[in-house]
Amino acid sequence: MSTVVTQNGLQLHTSGPLAALGRVGAVVGNTLREAGRAKLFYGLLGAAVMLLGFSLVLSDLALVDQKARLVQSFGMAVVPLVCVGTAILMGALLLHKEIDRKTLYAILPKPIARGEFIAGKLIGLCALLIFELVALALVWWAVLSLRGGHMTGAIVRGLGLHAIELVLVTSIAVFFSALTRPVLSGLLTAGVFVVGRVTYLITEFLAARKGLFVEVPAMRALGKALVVAVPDLSTFAVTDPILQGWDVPWSYCLSASLYGLCWALAFAVGAVLLFQRRDFT
Amino acid sequence: MNDSAAAHDDTILALDGLAKTFRVGFWGRPVPALRGVSLTMRRGESLGYLGPNGSGKTTSIKCIVGLIQASAGKVSLFGGDPGEAQRRARVGYLPESPYFYDYLTPVEVLEYVGKLYGMGARDRAQRSKMLLGQVGLEHAARRPLRGFSKGMLQRVGIAQSLLADPDLLIWDEPLSGLDPMGRKEVRDLMASLRADGKSLFFSSHVLSDIETLCDAVCILDRGEAVAQGRLSELLRSEELESEALVDLPSSDGRAAVLANLADLPGANLTDLPSGIRLLLPTAQVPELMRLLLEAGGTIRELSQRRDSLEELFLRKAVRRGEGAA
Ligand SMILES: Nc1ncnc2c1ncn2[C@@H]1O[C@H](COP(=O)(O)OP(=O)(O)OP(=O)(O)O)[C@@H](O)[C@H]1O
Ligand SMILES: [Mg+2]
Repeated sequence: MSTVVTQNGLQLHTSGPLAALGRVGAVVGNTLREAGRAKLFYGLLGAAVMLLGFSLVLSDLALVDQKARLVQSFGMAVVPLVCVGTAILMGALLLHKEIDRKTLYAILPKPIARGEFIAGKLIGLCALLIFELVALALVWWAVLSLRGGHMTGAIVRGLGLHAIELVLVTSIAVFFSALTRPVLSGLLTAGVFVVGRVTYLITEFLAARKGLFVEVPAMRALGKALVVAVPDLSTFAVTDPILQGWDVPWSYCLSASLYGLCWALAFAVGAVLLFQRRDFT
Repeated sequence: MNDSAAAHDDTILALDGLAKTFRVGFWGRPVPALRGVSLTMRRGESLGYLGPNGSGKTTSIKCIVGLIQASAGKVSLFGGDPGEAQRRARVGYLPESPYFYDYLTPVEVLEYVGKLYGMGARDRAQRSKMLLGQVGLEHAARRPLRGFSKGMLQRVGIAQSLLADPDLLIWDEPLSGLDPMGRKEVRDLMASLRADGKSLFFSSHVLSDIETLCDAVCILDRGEAVAQGRLSELLRSEELESEALVDLPSSDGRAAVLANLADLPGANLTDLPSGIRLLLPTAQVPELMRLLLEAGGTIRELSQRRDSLEELFLRKAVRRGEGAA
């Protein structure tokens, strides 16, 4: 690693992969620190914990042998959804806040590449979301054991897949937030999330003998475009199969993770390209 | 050794026909903010970048530090493109009315900035302590910036720009937002940085503030450089004026002598109870003396009026206004 020695004998490590890693790490650290000192994150976390607590009350209404099952399906629906909501919300605000509060103006002129900055913000937020997922999963586990249920390996692997999905959704949110204003980018990300969860349906419609997607040429084109441009998020939505006893094999986890991370990388690269052209006036 | 090569080596910043046109509104109406500014700055030089509000100072500076892309022309920072992150390692930038993460304390801001410059942990701690002392923020070093006043933020901005001991300081209105004491402190700081051999590029519209601080100035008006060069040369090149306080004996010929004096080309005479005040081109001073010698008058005071930067600048601006009308 080459160093610059300044006039007064200070050593600056600015080039080489280690130095780049250090800068990205600094941005990650600051992103985490910001979230750690913001009310938004704790609000979301608190709401989710309350929701899980509510499932405890709800389970009292169920039949004795259904209590654990209710808590289980409730948590498996709520935990990932809350985290995706956080990802969309915080992802849409991630860059906007920096630009709006002009904090970026003092940072980007430092010897940090814009790509490194985006990478740091993105990794920081992903780390935060995974922390949220783990924290909620632990709360859920506690609730579950109160009702006599237990965590299975399949559920843990399912949560792992949701973590990959979170990374993907975050990079989609950051991509849109490099493109447009926060409300719109939030809506676009939510739109991609919803469409992504049902692309498999669109694929089925396109393959059918008849129906809107087959008969109307414009719909057919739109359907085909969506299937290509939107990642298939149903890959990560394994809740129902797990509840029906599917084991979520490791091989599936591996291929699904690879799929999700490739898509995430594509969106992240897109975000960097958009961000690099931007003027900060 | 080749002279021009040495000169080139010494150039740390060069703008070459720098232009920026913003697009505003739905239709992208063009708003020219810079229309071809060229200048060069040598190592160790301090350059004052002057101009009224909206003349394009901040826009130029943002091009120099890579926040915005020029529409035409070129910026060369340490001989290369400021878009490359490495080029900016030797630059300390103070934004116009700086903002930092308000959940951080000054110590944490400097910690973060130091990491971005690739400074070691010990250097970060040492420099940050020293600089916070230097800008007078020890007492608030561990308070979040949320409650800071404008001048306190300005001080944080100055400290972070100096953290990595940069060779070139690019400061956008360093004196704005500061109290009189603060202005003096920052001016002293700038003088000592200059003495240390740092290069300073700073903008201002408070001309008297920087007159004593810069070797060269560039005066910007509506996106164009209307005057630039070494301060001493700029001031010499303008027509100089002298001011004389004159006494004449009260005799019959007094009125005639007064008329002669007033007739000197370019002279402006006021007959005051305390004496006669005469403003005239310096070239006319010998003629004035000859007339006084003949009439038996005396000169009580004679001084060269040096154009202040302010006047120079106003004159340029007015001239351009006339040209446009
Ligand atoms: N984002 C932008 N969109 C459109 N026009 C802009 C933008 N930023 C600056 N301008 C215009 O560019 C011109 C120069 O602005 P700039 O901020 O560079 O001036 P300045 O010399 O720094 O002024 P001040 O002394 O007030 O700081 C102004 O006419 C301004 O309206
Ligand atoms: Mg300005």
